[in-house]
Amino acid sequence: MPQMGVSVSEGTVTKWLKQPGEAVALDEALLEISTDKVDTEVPSPGEGIVAGILVGEGETVEVGTVLAVIAPAGSAVPEPTPEAVAPVAAVEAAVVPAAATPGSPLPAAAAAPPSGNGRTFVSPVVARIASEHGVDPTSIPGTGTGGRVTKKDILAHIESGPPAPAPAAAAPLPSAPVAPTPAAPAPPAAVRPAAPAPAAAPLQQGEVEEPMTAMRRGVMEHMRRSLDTSAHVTSAIEVDLSKIVAARERLKQEYQAAYGVNPTYLAFVPHATVETLRDYPWINAELRGESIVTRPFVNLGIAVALEDGKGLIVPVIRNAQDLNLLGMARAIADLATRARTKKLLPDDVQGGTFTITNPGGFGTFHGTPIISQPQVGILGTYALVKRPWVVQDELGQDVIAIRPLMNVTLTYDHRLVDGAYSGGFLRDLRERLENWEQPE
Amino acid sequence: MSGAYLLDAGLVPYREALELQRTLAAAVSQRAIPETIVLVEHPPVITTGRRTELEKELHIPESAAVELVETDRGGKSTYHAPGQLVCYPILDLGKHGKDVKRYVRDLERAIVGTLAAFELEATTIDGLTGVWMPPTGPRGPRKIASIGVRVTRWVTTHGYALNVDLDPAPFTEWITACGLDAAEFTTMARELHRPVTVPEVKPAALAALAEVFGLELDALPADGGTGLWAQPVHEKLGTR
Repeated sequence: MPQMGVSVSEGTVTKWLKQPGEAVALDEALLEISTDKVDTEVPSPGEGIVAGILVGEGETVEVGTVLAVIAPAGSAVPEPTPEAVAPVAAVEAAVVPAAATPGSPLPAAAAAPPSGNGRTFVSPVVARIASEHGVDPTSIPGTGTGGRVTKKDILAHIESGPPAPAPAAAAPLPSAPVAPTPAAPAPPAAVRPAAPAPAAAPLQQGEVEEPMTAMRRGVMEHMRRSLDTSAHVTSAIEVDLSKIVAARERLKQEYQAAYGVNPTYLAFVPHATVETLRDYPWINAELRGESIVTRPFVNLGIAVALEDGKGLIVPVIRNAQDLNLLGMARAIADLATRARTKKLLPDDVQGGTFTITNPGGFGTFHGTPIISQPQVGILGTYALVKRPWVVQDELGQDVIAIRPLMNVTLTYDHRLVDGAYSGGFLRDLRERLENWEQPE
Repeated sequence: MSGAYLLDAGLVPYREALELQRTLAAAVSQRAIPETIVLVEHPPVITTGRRTELEKELHIPESAAVELVETDRGGKSTYHAPGQLVCYPILDLGKHGKDVKRYVRDLERAIVGTLAAFELEATTIDGLTGVWMPPTGPRGPRKIASIGVRVTRWVTTHGYALNVDLDPAPFTEWITACGLDAAEFTTMARELHRPVTVPEVKPAALAALAEVFGLELDALPADGGTGLWAQPVHEKLGTR
């Protein structure tokens, strides 16, 4: 039973959304609990198979009580038997065998584990910090409910280095990565923080050294991992934005006056992109093991650079296919502001299915972005510049005109997407942008 | 203080408002938009929560022109109709104490504050979530506002319904609202012995919410024809 506030000591299970034997993904809704007049959806703290439900619907239990056991997929999960639905009293007994498997059961009721004898539940935040620092969270004495390792614990552990009295704990477990990062080769101890590396080159005259932030480290690992995972290929296309420029001029005053929103080009392009993705589902897809996963929705990531080069985050506009142009403009403006003013946390930016990055603000006209894993495509938009362009006049004669042009790139994962498919996507996207008609 | 949107949507069918809330909640949880307060009135509807005991609580007469909707909020059955101010704060509890009980208490405070602006001294009763008028003379406590909330990733949907001026009979005659036997329901109009309109109450309700949750409200255009999201409610608002 998760903590739902300091004034909440117990909760009632109202509905299990997953049954024993069913697979559950990290953060997927697992059950609903009720306290007072509030129903709360509880997301799964790990991914795997629901091995057993310990608290039935209608039962009221205290915060910290184990509600279910989630075993890792592929492990020898006992067939769900009636005994698996054990009453609360049996919790301790039921948890022990589960804790011996390298899965992530829900909050363990046991006291702080003295050493890494198994997996204790860790929150996604802790798991992320742990994997960033190459630390095994089970080796850290937890001070949270039921001996859980809290964010504070792990940060203190990282700051102080491994504790002396637990030498065995420092040995990395040979098991899978802590955070369920699909397709991640997970470099465990490759990147260790601050602690002075013995063989570091001495600073030369004038050189300045500063520790890497967690954000920087996250970006570093992600970029490297993406290049190690996907077969990146970039194609570019030039788009004549005359109609968009005109439409924007028309809409600018109206939107600004009525809604306080500036319809930037980075609202038209995502709008057209989302429409085009409908016809190219593999570019909005994901490789999951041997399977190709496509979806009817687009969760659109917009890459946002933080001020002072402090990093990059990709907040996600969920269900972007439902947004009209104004909605898109507003969502983008809000996302960007929130990202830059640090009101957006890295945890809030998951679940994207396709990403757009816009390095063109600085005048660059081409680039080869890196795909945000586990997606398979990223669209780059570049500087809008006036260029002499050959067009046909009304008599069908070729003439040179001055047109606002933008280079647009699609970087795709050639493991899934082929050149012809991506070319078709770019062609259709250009078509949409060049023949823009106000869809409102 | 933090900025928040206000969407004053007028009379909206329950299911449409539910869809609107879900869309807004998704956007709020992504921090794509600020927290948003939705104010509506519903055409007559009986809604049931997850813990509603249908046989015990529902006894709707055949002749009643009322819709029945099963929802995903906490609490038991209730009744909405024009004349009731329905308020759906889509808030990120991460910013308001991360405590679902405290949130309910905060909602109660906001309702009590709203009523205070009309010199009605409402109160809360331990164990009976909602807002009540205290016993006066021979009359026992009377429920004036109900609360039902859903929390997903710490983002709230649903909220409260304050009886401004409507016939409260359905609360007891059609259903056993909130699962409370023998509870009396009242309205602001009955307590004040004068007609009161929902628009009259809105400013006080918003001021109270702004104070309790530290919000600076920025009204969204509700009738410009181009809403934020493609929702049936927006089309309707556009043609009003």
